[in-house]
Amino acid sequence: MPGTFSRRKFLKDTAFGLIVLSAARFIPLDRAAAALKNLPDQLKFFSPMEFLIMENVAGRIVGTPAPGMASVEDVGVALRADAFLAGAEPEIQNQLHELLAVFNGALFAFLFEFQFSSFVNMSPEDQDAYLNGWMTSSLAFRRTAFQALKRLSLTLFYTDPRAWEEIRYDGMFLPWEREKKQ
Amino acid sequence: MAMILQGKDVTTPVRENADVCIIGSGCGGGAAAKVLAEAGRRVVVLEEGGYYTASDFDMTEETAYRNLYRERGGQATDDLAVTVLQGRCVGGSSTVNWTTSLRTPEFVLDRWEHVFDVKGLSLKELEPYFERIEKYLNIHLEPEEHHNPNNRIILTGAQKLGYRARAIGRNTRDCQEAGACGLGCPFDAKLSVNVTYIPDAVKAGAVVCADFKAENIEVIGNTKRVYGTVIDRATNARKTDFVVEAPVVILSAGAIHTPALLFRSGLANSSGEVGNHLTLHLTSAVLGMFEGVVYPAGGIPQSAMCDEFLNTNNDGGGFWIEAVPAYPVLASLALPGFGDSHKALMRGYKHIGASIVLVKEIDSEGSVGLNEYGRPVISYNIGEKDLDCMKRGLKTAARIHFAAGAKKVLTLHAEKNEFTSSGELDEGFARARWGRNELSLYSAHPLGTCRMAEHPLRSVVNSHCETHDIGGLFVIDGSVMPTSLGVNPQLTILAVAEKSAEWIAENFPRPQ
Repeated sequence: MPGTFSRRKFLKDTAFGLIVLSAARFIPLDRAAAALKNLPDQLKFFSPMEFLIMENVAGRIVGTPAPGMASVEDVGVALRADAFLAGAEPEIQNQLHELLAVFNGALFAFLFEFQFSSFVNMSPEDQDAYLNGWMTSSLAFRRTAFQALKRLSLTLFYTDPRAWEEIRYDGMFLPWEREKKQ
Repeated sequence: MAMILQGKDVTTPVRENADVCIIGSGCGGGAAAKVLAEAGRRVVVLEEGGYYTASDFDMTEETAYRNLYRERGGQATDDLAVTVLQGRCVGGSSTVNWTTSLRTPEFVLDRWEHVFDVKGLSLKELEPYFERIEKYLNIHLEPEEHHNPNNRIILTGAQKLGYRARAIGRNTRDCQEAGACGLGCPFDAKLSVNVTYIPDAVKAGAVVCADFKAENIEVIGNTKRVYGTVIDRATNARKTDFVVEAPVVILSAGAIHTPALLFRSGLANSSGEVGNHLTLHLTSAVLGMFEGVVYPAGGIPQSAMCDEFLNTNNDGGGFWIEAVPAYPVLASLALPGFGDSHKALMRGYKHIGASIVLVKEIDSEGSVGLNEYGRPVISYNIGEKDLDCMKRGLKTAARIHFAAGAKKVLTLHAEKNEFTSSGELDEGFARARWGRNELSLYSAHPLGTCRMAEHPLRSVVNSHCETHDIGGLFVIDGSVMPTSLGVNPQLTILAVAEKSAEWIAENFPRPQ
């Protein structure tokens, strides 16, 4: 029989990752209370705090829309992520819960990037710097985590037709529309 | 009764007997089903994914990833460093590939014969199969005027640099050049397995069961039982279960899920080689920014290639360059960075030209195992030689883009790695970081996890694709390829499948 592997094991195999995973559960979630009041109440996968983290992450990863163009809130990226992850395999679900706890934890923001608050409480500029730290980290598990968040955010944004206007994507070349596009 | 049975039509447990049970309906399973059904065998094909037809294909990534791809297009190695794209529907990956149909290079087949003692798969012996399949699937070269701007980058740039570049064989008829090959062809113009081999197998009496997920196989004397669940497609939940009993079982679930099924069943692994020797045909890309409109999702997605650099050192390695249809999600994931700088690049979407570099591995190591839930886990470590080859390939592709008129070229590094001329490439590549998740990597051609060879201690199946351990248990899909091919594998898998299925028809007569 082969050994058992998982992305969680990948995190755990990193000594630093082990410390982070075990301590993440004890981080208080404090100053996001105001934002939490306006969240959808029928989440299938995310806790309210996780939803808020995902919404913030997606917003920073996708970037600011031009005036009049669709934002991650317009497309509902975090809600779509909630629906998507509710149907995911259990191991993926567990990893996402753990990842979001680690990613948002104030202790880890301090340890990794010398930031003094949790991700959702940072200014947009600090959030970008924090994300950049994960993307370019020398720790492989942090780069992996960043890629997971990037893929989720961009996939769920750009599959929605409302996101296409800003990039001037007109859909496929239907034969009867070809000349218009070329 | 010849038919395609779908999960939605099933409410009670299914019990079925057959001469041959085939697990998977892609190139391997589909071709085997047609040959064996036409030879008079009672064939049952079990496909985990759904059955979709042209009217279901709406040419959007949203629908395609949800319905047609493994893990909605998110299947990846354990560390997320390599995205591994595979189809999960009737027709398998052929339903979503970009139609490239190439014969196996002769140096690859020679190596199989001389290193792995594979018999019956020399170029001469495969030639009649290639010819027959090329005719059946109307594999042809596109005329010059049909290449889209994205493919023209390769043809024009390579020609200026003196590299060999040419048209690719494609399995289409009356192609509408919509660009949707990777999302399911809504015109039935792509002659994929779901519109060719599968309907012909059904016409000859095969029963194809969609939404039927095989969980494990039990061997009882000369017969085998395949157990599994019927899936509710809307929720992916178990609906009911099934058992199919047959003297011959063929695993055609692809190089990731075939070894997983063997592991779960505890079968065919006396060599310890099940799951080993995974090759991915490792792929990355360059993105050129052009002044004119390229519109990388439109027109024929893949019609030209630069094949100058395969096996140039006679080491069995090398790289290959092809165009890639950069649909919005694919483009967004490929572009570096995030946030406003990423958005700025996306605003230039129509001006992006994209070419992929595919490395035929010689020193990378990959494997498929199982996780605690019994699902496959892909591990992969890139070898130094293969990484060097990827760097050479990306530099070459970048030069081709500049020669074709690109104003800027980017690699798929997480941190922006941008060039404005070929002269900057050496320094930029030396400065760039090449670790896990620092360069986006992909695979659409996983192969090799149930290796074929004559020696039972070195391999899982023999030259007829029959497992060394169990008579009547076959693997017919990309898993059996002894090495990476260096070219897109569709035509090779079809040829090996037809040949092996003919051998089965001759050697496993229908029970009286």
